[in-house]
Formats: sequence, structure tokens, C-alpha cells
Amino acid sequence: MTIDSTQPPEPVDDVEPLPLDETRHHFSETLDEIKRGMVQMGSLVTENVRRAGDVMLEGRLDLAPAVIEHDREVNRLYAELEQTTFETLARQQPVAGDLRFLVSTTRILYEIERSGDLAVNCVNVAQRENGLPESPRLTALLNQMVSECCSLFAAGVDALADMDPVAGAALDAKDDVLDDLVGRYYAEIGRVSEEIGLETSIQLSKVGRFLERIGDHAVNIGENVSYVITAEFPGDTHAGVAEYE
Amino acid sequence: MATRNITVDTSALVRRSLEGKKINWFDQFVAIALLVSLLSGLLILATLLVSVFSSGFGVLADRGFDFITSRLSPDAADAGIFQAIIGSLILTGFVIVVAFPLGVGAAVYLEEYAPDTKTTRFIDANIRNLAGVPSIVYGLLGLAVFVKLMGGFTGGRTLVTGGLTLAVLVLPIMIITTAEALRAVPQALREASMGVGATKWETIRYHVLPVALPAIFTGAVLTIARAFGESAPLLLAGAVLSLFFSNSADAGIGEYVFDEPYTAMPIVIYNWARQPQQEFVALTSAAIIVFLMFLLAVNGVAIILRDRYERK
Amino acid sequence: MSESEPDMDLNGAPDAVDTAAQPASGDEPGAPPAIFDVEKLNVYYGDFHAVQDVSLPIGKNQITAFIGPSGCGKSTVLRCFNRMNDLIEIARVEGTIEYHGVDLYGLSIDPVEVRRRIGMVFQKPNPFPKSIYDNIAFGPKIAGYKGNMDELVEESLHKAALWDEVKDKLKESALALSGGQQQRLCIARAIATSPDVVLMDEPCSALDPIATLRIEELMQELKADYSILIVTHNMQQAARVSDRTGFFNVELNERGQRTGHLVEFDETGKIFTNPTVKATEDYITGRFG
Repeated sequence: MTIDSTQPPEPVDDVEPLPLDETRHHFSETLDEIKRGMVQMGSLVTENVRRAGDVMLEGRLDLAPAVIEHDREVNRLYAELEQTTFETLARQQPVAGDLRFLVSTTRILYEIERSGDLAVNCVNVAQRENGLPESPRLTALLNQMVSECCSLFAAGVDALADMDPVAGAALDAKDDVLDDLVGRYYAEIGRVSEEIGLETSIQLSKVGRFLERIGDHAVNIGENVSYVITAEFPGDTHAGVAEYE
Repeated sequence: MATRNITVDTSALVRRSLEGKKINWFDQFVAIALLVSLLSGLLILATLLVSVFSSGFGVLADRGFDFITSRLSPDAADAGIFQAIIGSLILTGFVIVVAFPLGVGAAVYLEEYAPDTKTTRFIDANIRNLAGVPSIVYGLLGLAVFVKLMGGFTGGRTLVTGGLTLAVLVLPIMIITTAEALRAVPQALREASMGVGATKWETIRYHVLPVALPAIFTGAVLTIARAFGESAPLLLAGAVLSLFFSNSADAGIGEYVFDEPYTAMPIVIYNWARQPQQEFVALTSAAIIVFLMFLLAVNGVAIILRDRYERK
Repeated sequence: MSESEPDMDLNGAPDAVDTAAQPASGDEPGAPPAIFDVEKLNVYYGDFHAVQDVSLPIGKNQITAFIGPSGCGKSTVLRCFNRMNDLIEIARVEGTIEYHGVDLYGLSIDPVEVRRRIGMVFQKPNPFPKSIYDNIAFGPKIAGYKGNMDELVEESLHKAALWDEVKDKLKESALALSGGQQQRLCIARAIATSPDVVLMDEPCSALDPIATLRIEELMQELKADYSILIVTHNMQQAARVSDRTGFFNVELNERGQRTGHLVEFDETGKIFTNPTVKATEDYITGRFG
């Protein structure tokens, strides 16, 4: 800024400063757009988990193509949102909350996309086994697991939509319920393994793992949301990061 | 072995280096010397003014208005400077009418239109030289050109001749001050104007000249004040240098300017100063006082105008 | 369309123009129409070759930014678009700049008319020392505008996001406004003659950060109606604001003169995430220049 010493100093800028979110309109809109995209992705995945449950529990193999179709959309959104995020990072010089948001977005996108893949994996198992064995206790447990998993993931997406750090941090406790169910599921598989055969047992236990992993991803989403708002990960520092395989 | 504890008290060191500086005698000396030179100049001026006033005030006190309205006369008691005032005023009018438009026009051309070539720079340098030429040379010019060469048109030794001679004298100064004023207009203003699609003339007329005008104006007024006091050129170009001359009683303006003899205040002052008679001393001083009043008035106008424009 | 670029070095680097990466434009599918088409533009100041062989399209209703180190010729190139270089006696322009298909430097073209259609905003705000109203009215007036001047002034001030702040003091001096307001006034003045292009030569470099952001915001809004070409030495500004970016650099030519040329011209997202030419990457990452 050149200073002309023959003139009195210029008055500090304009009379009425605009409210802070009205400058960088374009940037704010881009951030909103990214968040909406993530929420959309997350909703698609929640739906897919529910459908995967239908496929597995009710033998609705006809729903499999829909699941795959929706996962393709999830992957497309992933690529698009990631590209947007990188470009925004490069072009807008974000700092503080904006920076945390964009960095967390790259992590959250990964969590959601992986969850989508895991839902597809469940469907693949059902297709391979041509429907799952009729074991009432297994089925009941599986039903509960799917239900719990859906609700957990949906809660994660809600926390993301609302940018609610408290809701985000609470997911860890909810996940314990799912983990417990999965434990009991493994035990049940062990019990009926001779009946259903080794191959089926392995496939069924994979499903348990898939659902448990989706739960963990949901927890990570929640923790990242908490990080965006509070600049800290709930519980141990970087506990969310340590969860990565 | 005894170890000497050298404690360096920093703040004491700093205090010693900051305090107790002696007065810089050389600085003081320079300030005083400059003051003395200023006062010396003022003192000389004051002496002149005092001597003029003491000598001439009596005449003004006695004859007052009559002194200003009387015509020249060999008799000191009757002589007045009326013709001289009229002459000076008309000459000044000529200078304004001729030198101002020509000078401003030439400067605008040189600064805004002329390409930066060797020729232009040559012309520019020579205008500056002309501004430094002694005024008597302009008198010779006036004599040769306006009195002799163009005698048929100007009528010989008339106000027209004197006016033109003075106009030519101040023209280079007018050009230079106007050029400076134009140069002081920031280039950003011209660019802004051209940027919205103004032609060169529109830019000059609506933006450059209005901004430069106060400076041009101030320069013009000061130039006129100078012309007001020139005597050498007028002596050569035909102002009447005698104790008495008359004009035709029924001279109209046209004839007065183109036909009649004339004089100007500096000329009259010069003439009266030459006279051996004692009475003319007081008369000269009185004329000088009136002359200084005029000058003060003109300069006062310049200062007032300049202040007004600068405050805008 | 992009090709990989050889490394640039200061000793007789290959001519970057013909192989400089270019985004799709003009007739190519999926591209915005080009409002300017520059072909082999060269600018000389007397004997000095200031800008060499610049060719690029400028997209309609886009913001195009020129970045590069000092002396790289970006301002010189900008001033070619509205023939402001005509004001410099020793400047000489070669090559073509087509505006809506018309060669701007054609013999029959009147530069005064060009400047009415292609407006300019300068680095240091330079409002006329007149009232706010007169600042805006001047251009249209000398262009022979016969309509309602009050409305035109109001509309221009609205578009420049300045109306609310000055509507009660239109007759007051423009010089009493703050720097940011003055610059927005200059923008209003530039658009008052209904141009379709606004050239901006480092418009924010004399302004504080808040004023800068407001002008950037304004540029985004103006994009809808105007094509904007901005020269900026602040590449973060180019990154934030522009749709396309041209990176200019300076090189020693055969005669040892520091000549400017266009190194890369592409979508801004690409330039700042994955530029094709190494020199571009070096510049934007701050590793040289």
C-alpha cells in the first residue's frame, strides 16, 4: 500500500462493514455444497445398508442391482467431492474452522465410501450363498445388527448434517451395542458351524465383520465432525485416526 | 588469584549514552546565520519603504485624490499620475488578452499534444532561454517590429505597441508556468478519462485544465504583476517620457489605443526621479507608494484566489 | 489439448506459445464462447521487446486472471485490450487481438470507441476530482447518452455495490470516499458506458483486506453481465476469483532483453492443483520469482 505523505491518512474502510459471511459468498456456498454432497452420500449408504439387510434376511436378491447402482453413485460423488475439496483447498487459502472442515471432509469421504463398499460386500455374500441359511437365532441377531448398524450410520450422517459435535462424540457409545451384538453373532456362528458348513460359516462371519466396520466408520465420521467444531478428537487424541486399518 | 567481578550495568551505560549530550553548536550557528540573512534582507526592504513613505506621504496627505486624478504637468504642484494609471491598466489588459490565451494554448500544445522529439525539446529549451532574456531586448524587439515594421497597423508609439511588447515579454513565462501546472496534473487523471472513452481534447477540457487552472491562474496573476512593473521595454517601445503630454480630448477608445501617446507608472516614476527639482522627490515617492498599493492589491488577489482553490 | 512442457531455463528457452497448455474455447465442444482472441501479440517500447508472441482466448462472462512476476508484461498485455498503449508514444503493437471477431488494431478502428466498450479500472483508485454523480455521468455524457442520467448513475452504483453507501451524497466530492469506496466508484464509472468487458489492473493492490474481499465478491457478481480480465500480483487472489489464469514469465531474449511471454493458460483449478509447466508450479508454490 503506497503512502502519500502529503495527504492525511485515509479513513479506515467503509461505513458499514458487511456481516462476515457475506464476503466470500462463493466460498461459503462451496463449503455448503460439499457438506450437502457428503450428507447425500451418507444417506445413500444408509439406504444401501438397509437394502443389504433386506437382501440378506428376506432373500431379496432382486434388490442387489439397486444396491450396486446406488454404490456407483456414492463412488461418483466421492470422486467429485474430493476433487472439489482439493481445488477449494488450493484456491481459497482456508484457515481455522474452514481448514478443519475441508481436511475432515477428505477423511469423512473415505469413511462413507468404504461403508458403501462394505454394504455391497454384504450383498455379494448373500448372492454367493444364494440366500443365507435358515437359522432363527442367527437371523434374529443379524436383523438386530443391521438395524443397529443403520441407526448408527444414520446418526453419524445426522451429526454431519447438523455439524453437531456432541452427537458426533456420542456415537462411540452407541457403537458398543453393535460390537456386542457382533460378538454374540460370532459365538452363534461358532455354535452352528458344523451344521451350516465351513464355507458358509466363513462367509457369515465376514458379514459380521462388514457390519462392525461400518459401525466403526460411523464413529469416525462423528469424531471428525467433533474435530471440525472443537478442534479436538473426543476421547484420546487421534483416536479416530488410530481406528484406520 | 582474585577474580574481578565485572558487572556491566547496562542501564547505566544506556543512560550515559542518551543523556548529557552537549548542545550542537554548529547547528545553532547555522540557524542564527540564516536568521541574520533574513533580517538583513528585511531590513533593507524596510529602509526603502520607510524612506519612500516618509518622503511621499506628505504629498498624498495634502493632495490625496487629486494626485491620482491629475494629469502630468511640469509643475510639481499640479502633476498627477492619472494618465500613468490608465496607461498601466490598459497595458495590463493587453497582456491579459494577448499573453494569456497564447501562452496557455502554446503550453497545452507542448505538454499534451507535441510528441517527445528533438524538435519539441529544442523548442522547450528555447522558451526557457527566452524567459531569461533581459527585458530591454524585448524593448528593442518592440521597437523594431511593432513600432517600425507594423507601424501602419499599430499606429507607432501607442498603447497597442506597448501592450504587444509587454505581452511578448511575459509570454515565455506564461508558457512555462502553464506547462508546469499541466505537468503537475497526475497522469492517472488523464488515463481515467481516456479509459472511459474521452478524446484527448475532452480529457484536457473537462479534466486536465480544470485541475491545472488554479496554478495557471496564480501564475498568470503573478506574471501580470511583473508586467505591471516593467519599464525598460516601454521606454524603447514608445511610452512618453516627458513631463507633460496631452491626449485629444475627444479620443474614443479605439483612437486612444491606436493613435494616442501613452505612458505607464514605472515610466513616470523613472522620469520624476530624474528631475532636479526638490518637489519632484516627494512626488516620486508618492507615485511609488501608489504603485506599491496597486502591486499589493494584485498580489493580494493572487493569494486569495490561490487559497480558495487550494482549499477546494 | 495439453501437452507436457519441457523445463524452462533462462538461456534461450523454447518458444512456449504454440505448445502452451490451453483450455477448450471457442468452437470446441463444452467451451464458453471467446470474447477476445489474441494471436501472436508482440509489444515493443521503441527498441525494447516487452512482450513476445502471446496467444490466448478470453472467455465470455468469465473472470480471466494474469499472474506473474514483475516486469513479465502482464499489465502491458492488459492495456492492449483497450488500446491504452496508444497513449505511449514509443509503444508498438504487433499481432492481432480480435474482439467479437473484429481486429482491435484495424486501421479503421477508433480507439475512443474501443474504450467505451472495453472499460478499465486502475491500480490506484483514480476518481475524477468531481462529485460522485459527475464521475459516473462523464463517460455516458461524452458518448452522447440521451437517456435518463439519474437512472443510469443509480444503476451503475447499484451494480458496483456502492449505491446504499452514497445515495445521499451523490453531489459530494468523490475524493471524500474511502479507498475501497473509491475503487468501487471507479468500477461503477467503468460500467456506466455499458461496456461488455471490464479490464482491471491490480485493482486491489492499494486496498486493505476487507475492501479487497468486497471487490472480489463484486467481481463474482459482475461476471454475469461482463467479461472480466484482471492483472494481479497476488496469486491467491487469482486463485480465489478467476475462472481461468494465465501465467506470464520473463525471459532473456537473444538480445539480452527481459521479454515477457505467456507460459501457461488454463482453467484456474488446474493451474493451482496440477499445472502442466514446471515453471508455473515453481512460481505458484513460491519457489522462485
